Amino acid sequence: MDAAEFFQYVIAGLKSGSIYALVALGFTMVYGATGIINFAQGEFFMLGGVLAVWFHGLGLPLPVAGIAAVAATALIGIAFERVALRRQRSASPLVLVIITIGGSMVMKSLARHLFGPDELSLPEFTPGPSVDVAGVAVERQALWVWGLTIVAVLLLAWLYRRTKLGRAMRACSISHDAARLMGIDTARVAMVSFGIAAALGALAGFAVTPLTQTSWDAGAAIGVKGFAAAILGGLGNPVATVIGGLVLGLLESLSVAFVSSTYKDVISLVVLLVVLFVRPQGLFGTAQRGKV
Amino acid sequence: MSSVKRIRLFITPYLGLIAAALAVAAVPLVTPDRYVLKVLVYVGVNVIVIAGLALLFGHAGQISMGHAAFVGIGAYTSAYLVKTLDAPWLVGVLAATVLAAAGGLVLALPALRLRGHYLAMATLGFSEIMYVVFREARAITGGNDGLGGIPYPEVAGLKIDTPVGVYLLVWGVALLTLLLVLNILRSRPGRAMRALQATENGALACGIDTVGLKIRTFALSAALAGLAGALYAHGVGFISPSTFGLDQSVIYMAIVVVGGAGSLAGPTLAAVVLTLLPYADALVPGLSKDTIAVMQDWEADIYGLAMIAVVIFAPAGIGGLLKRIRLRGAGEVRS
Repeated sequence: MDAAEFFQYVIAGLKSGSIYALVALGFTMVYGATGIINFAQGEFFMLGGVLAVWFHGLGLPLPVAGIAAVAATALIGIAFERVALRRQRSASPLVLVIITIGGSMVMKSLARHLFGPDELSLPEFTPGPSVDVAGVAVERQALWVWGLTIVAVLLLAWLYRRTKLGRAMRACSISHDAARLMGIDTARVAMVSFGIAAALGALAGFAVTPLTQTSWDAGAAIGVKGFAAAILGGLGNPVATVIGGLVLGLLESLSVAFVSSTYKDVISLVVLLVVLFVRPQGLFGTAQRGKV
Repeated sequence: MSSVKRIRLFITPYLGLIAAALAVAAVPLVTPDRYVLKVLVYVGVNVIVIAGLALLFGHAGQISMGHAAFVGIGAYTSAYLVKTLDAPWLVGVLAATVLAAAGGLVLALPALRLRGHYLAMATLGFSEIMYVVFREARAITGGNDGLGGIPYPEVAGLKIDTPVGVYLLVWGVALLTLLLVLNILRSRPGRAMRALQATENGALACGIDTVGLKIRTFALSAALAGLAGALYAHGVGFISPSTFGLDQSVIYMAIVVVGGAGSLAGPTLAAVVLTLLPYADALVPGLSKDTIAVMQDWEADIYGLAMIAVVIFAPAGIGGLLKRIRLRGAGEVRS
C-alpha cells in the first residue's frame, strides 16, 4: 500500500471518527450532568437524519431543514428528560437504564410509523467533485462533516469555559449534591444537557446522511459506537471523548485497510469490551475507587 | 405440626406450578390445532429464557442486553451438531446449553465487576458481536439466508415430530426450568440474591461472595437461554440471525421488567401474554387479520411504553399485582 492509499484510509477514518465524536459527546454531556448512560443517544442521531429528510421534503432549503431537524431533536431530548426521567433522578441506575432503553424503542418505532421503513437520503450540501488535498481525494461532504464537528466542539468548549451555565454543568459533573447546595438548579442543567446531547447527535445524523443514507433503525449501531468512543476516551471528559471518537474511527478504517471489511463493525465492539474490562476509566481517565 | 399442615407447607409454593402443569396438559386435549400448538411452542421457549432472566434481573439485580445472543448460540450449536455433524439430538442440546453457559461465563467474569449501566453496555456489545458472527460465519450458520431443515428432536430412537409431541417436550422442559428456578429461589443462593439486591455492601458484609454469585447466576441464565435456543431450533426447524438480534434481547428485558423484579410468576405470566400478543388470532377466533397486523406493527411501541410505565408507576410489575391479590385473598391487606 502506498502513502496516498494509506492517507485515503486515514481520511475515511477521521470522517467517521468525527461522527462518533459528536455522538460520544452526547453521552459524555448527559453522563456528566446526570450520571445517566443514555441508551437513546443513538436515536437522536437517527432523528437528526430522518427529520432533516422530512423537512427537506416539505420544500425547506437544505440548511433550514438541517437547523429545524437539530432544533426539533433537541426539543425531543428535553421533552424526554422532563417527562420520563426528571422525577426518577434518585432511582437506581438500573431503572434509569431501563427508561432510556424504553425511550429508544419508542422513538425508533415512532420514526418507522411516521417516516416509513425505507432508506432515506439527502443531497450533498455542496455537490461537486472531490477536493484534492495533497494528492488525496476528499469528498466535499467530508469537509462539511469536519467543519460542523469543529464548530460544535468549539461552541461546546466556549459554553463549558465561559458561561455560567457551562460552569454549572461542570460543577454538576464533579458533585451533583454539592452543586445543588451551591444553589445550582441541577434539574435545569440536566434538561439543558439532554437538549445539547440530542442536538449534537442530530447534527451528526444530518451531516452524514448525504454520505451514508439513514433510516429508522440507524440509531442502535451508531449509539454503541458512540459509547465505545466515549468510554475509550474516558466518559465525562469532553476533550478525551473527541479524541476517543477519532481514534475509534481510525482503528476501524485501518482495520478495513489491513484486515478485512467483513468484521469492520466488530472493531468498535471489541474496543468497547476491552476498554470496559481492562480500563473502564478510559485512556485519559484516572481510576476511581468505589466508596462504601 | 400436624402432617396435613406439613404437606400444605410443602405444596403451597408449588401451587402455581401445579396449576400451570395442568393447563399445559389440558391444551392438546382442547385443541389439536397445529398453528395454536406452534405459537405455544414459541411461548414455551420464551418462558425458559425469561425464567433465567428473571433470576438474573429480578433477583440478582443485573441487566443483560444480550440474552438473545445466548439463545442464538444455543440454537446454532445444536442445529450444526445435529444437522451437519449427525450428532445425537441430546448431545446437541447438551452442547448448546454448555456452550451458552461458557459464553456467559466468559462475558460475566470481567463484566460483572462492572456495575449497572456498564454491564448493560458490555452485554449489548456482546450481543452485537454475536449478531455479526451469526451473519458472517456462513459455513456454520448459513448466513443471512438462515439454516433450514433442522431435524426434529429424537430421544433414544423415538422421533418427536408431531406438533403435540414438540409442544409437550418444550413445555415439559419449561416447567422443569420453572421448578429449578423456584427451588433455587427458596434455597441458600436465592436468599443470597435477595440480600444482594437489597444492598450489595450489606450482602458482602454478611460474607456473601457477591461477585461469584453474580457470575454463577449469569452463567445459569445464559445456559437456560442456550437450552431454549436449542429447543427452538429443533422444534421450529429453521433459524436465521434476525431472531437473535439486539431487538429480541431488548424484548426479553421488557418482558422481565413488565413481569416485575423479585417475582417468578410475574415474568412467566408476562412472557406468556406478551408472546401471545402478536399471535392473538390463534386464540381469539373472531380477530381480523388487520387487527393483528396493527398490533404487530405497534408491538415495539407497546413494549417500550410498557417498560417505562412499569418502572415509573409500578416497579413491582405484574408480580407485585399477583402478590397483592394473594395477600388480599388471605385477608392480610385491607383497603
